[in-house]
Amino acid sequence: MKLACVVHRYGADIAGGSEGHCRLIAERLAKTHDVTVITTTAHDHVTWANHYPPGETRVGPVRAIRFPVVRSRDLHRFRDISDVVLTNRANASEEEQWFRENGPQAPALVTYLETHGRDFDCVLFWAFRYYNSYFGLPLVADRAVLIPTAEEDPLIHIDSLTPFFALPRGYLFLTPEEEALVGDRAAPETPRRVIGCGVDPPCPVDDSRLAAAGVTGSYVLYLGRIDPNKGCDMLLRHFLRYVERTPSANAADPATRDNPSTSANPVLVLAGPANMPIPEHPLIRRLGYVDEATRDALLANARVLLMPSPYESLSMVLLEAWNRGTPALVNARCAVLKGQVLRADGGLYYQSALEFAGALDYLLGHRDVARQLGAQGQAYVDREYRWPTVMQKVESLLEEIGPRH
Amino acid sequence: MTSAETIRVPAVMKRIEEDVQSAVRRRLVKHGMPAYADEQVFERARAILEHAAAGRDLNVLLLPELLGDEVEWSLVPNLTLSSHRSSIGKVILLVKRHILLPLTRWLFEYSQDNFRRQERLNRILLASAEELAVENARLRADLDAIRAKLLGGQGAPG
Repeated sequence: MKLACVVHRYGADIAGGSEGHCRLIAERLAKTHDVTVITTTAHDHVTWANHYPPGETRVGPVRAIRFPVVRSRDLHRFRDISDVVLTNRANASEEEQWFRENGPQAPALVTYLETHGRDFDCVLFWAFRYYNSYFGLPLVADRAVLIPTAEEDPLIHIDSLTPFFALPRGYLFLTPEEEALVGDRAAPETPRRVIGCGVDPPCPVDDSRLAAAGVTGSYVLYLGRIDPNKGCDMLLRHFLRYVERTPSANAADPATRDNPSTSANPVLVLAGPANMPIPEHPLIRRLGYVDEATRDALLANARVLLMPSPYESLSMVLLEAWNRGTPALVNARCAVLKGQVLRADGGLYYQSALEFAGALDYLLGHRDVARQLGAQGQAYVDREYRWPTVMQKVESLLEEIGPRH
Repeated sequence: MTSAETIRVPAVMKRIEEDVQSAVRRRLVKHGMPAYADEQVFERARAILEHAAAGRDLNVLLLPELLGDEVEWSLVPNLTLSSHRSSIGKVILLVKRHILLPLTRWLFEYSQDNFRRQERLNRILLASAEELAVENARLRADLDAIRAKLLGGQGAPG
C-alpha cells in the first residue's frame, strides 16, 4: 500500500512521545509498504522554531516531506486560550483557535494533504491535539487512521472533538483506556485495534555504567523529563516526606550525609533533562541526560521505577522497566498507568503521599514480592508488546480498511 | 511461573490502602474527630468526599447551574485585554499588550497559578456540597419509605 504518516515533528534525534512512536511504526511499515512521512521543519516542541530544511529528504529507510512552520508558538497567548478552552468556557471558534495556537502552524502541510492526500491509500495521523492532525485529517477522512495518543486531560472533553473523532476511517489506540476515552465518539463499526508500542527483547547491560554515573547502593528511579507537568514536583514532595519519616535518612545524620547508600532508605535517582528546580538532599541524585547504555543499566538495577505522571497515553518507560524485570510504582490518578499496572500485575500504585509511602515501603520491604511483580511485568511485555505482535495488529487494521481510490 | 504463584496487584493494594486509611482515621480521632472512631462512619465519609474530589468531572455540577450565569461568580484566571474607546482603543490596546503586559507578566502569572488552584478547590467544594445533597436526598427517600410503611401498619383497623 501507499501510506502517508502525518506527524508534527520527525527526526532520528527526536525520541519518545507520539513522534517516536510514529518513527518506530513508519520504519517497520516501510519494510512492506511505500511510506512517506509528512511533517514540519520544527524540532523544538515548545516553540516549533524552524530547524530542518523544508522539502523532501530521507530519514533512515523512510521518505519524508517537511513543511515550514509559519509562526512560532506564543506561550502567553497559548496559555491564555488554554485557560478559556480547558475550563469548558469556550465557544467553537475559540476551541478551533486553541489548535492554531498549539501549532505547529504549517498551512502548506494542510494544503499538501488537500491536493495530494488522495494519492495515498491510507493516511495515518499521530496525536489529535496538533494543528496538522486537527486541520489535516478532515481533508482525507475517508482514508485516515488516527492514532490519537489521547490523555485524560481537560482538552479531551471539548465539544469540537466530538465531530472530529467521528471522522477517521480507522483507529489505532495505545491502551484500552485510550480506546474508552475516544472510541465512543466514533461509529461503533469503525475498525480499531489497541496496539501499544513494540519493545525489543532486553540486551545485556553494562553495570559499570552505574558507578561511572555515581550511582551506588540501593536506589529507586525516575527516568524521563523532570517537569511539573510529568508530576515530578509532587513526586519530590512525596519522596522527601517519605524519607524524612526515617531518622537515619535525615541530612543531619552524619553517617547518612557522608554515604547516603548506608541509609535505611534508597536514593532517588532522577535521570533526564530538568525543567524545574530539584531540592538539594543527600538522598536525591540528579544525573541529567543519560546515554542509552546508562539508561539500560539504571532500569535493570533499580529497586523500583517511579512513574508520577498524571497524564499519559502509554508509558514507554514503564514497558522498558518491565522489559528489565523491574517493578513499578505509578500514579493511580492516571487511568492508563493504573490500567497498565493492573493488566501486567507488575507493580503498585498510589493516590496520596501516604499511599506512596505505604506502597514504596511495601516494595522495598518485600524483595521477593517486588521481584515477582517485575517478572510478571516482563511476562506481560513478552505477551503484548513484542514488535511482531504489534505490527500484526497494525497490518490487520490496514487490511480491514483496504486501499481507497 | 504458574498461575497459582501469580501475585495479584489488587490484593496487595487492598492491604496497603487499608493500612493507610486506618492510620489516617486514628490520627483524625486523636486530633478531635471522635465520629471516626466508628470505622463505618469514616469509610462512608471518605467515599463521599473522594468521589467529589477525584471521581467526577468538576466542570459539570448542579450547583453552578442553579447559581446562574457562571461569569458572575467563577474565577477568570485568563487575561482579556480590551478598550471601550472606539477611536484610540487600538492604540491603548497596543500599549497594554506590548508595554504594560510584559512589565507585569510575572505578577500576572504568579497570581494566575494561585487562581487556578483556588478555582479547582472551589469546584471540589461545590462537588462535595452536591455529594452531600445527593446523600441527604437518598436518606430522606429511605426515611419517607420507612415512615409510610410504619404508618400503613398502624393505620390498619384492629
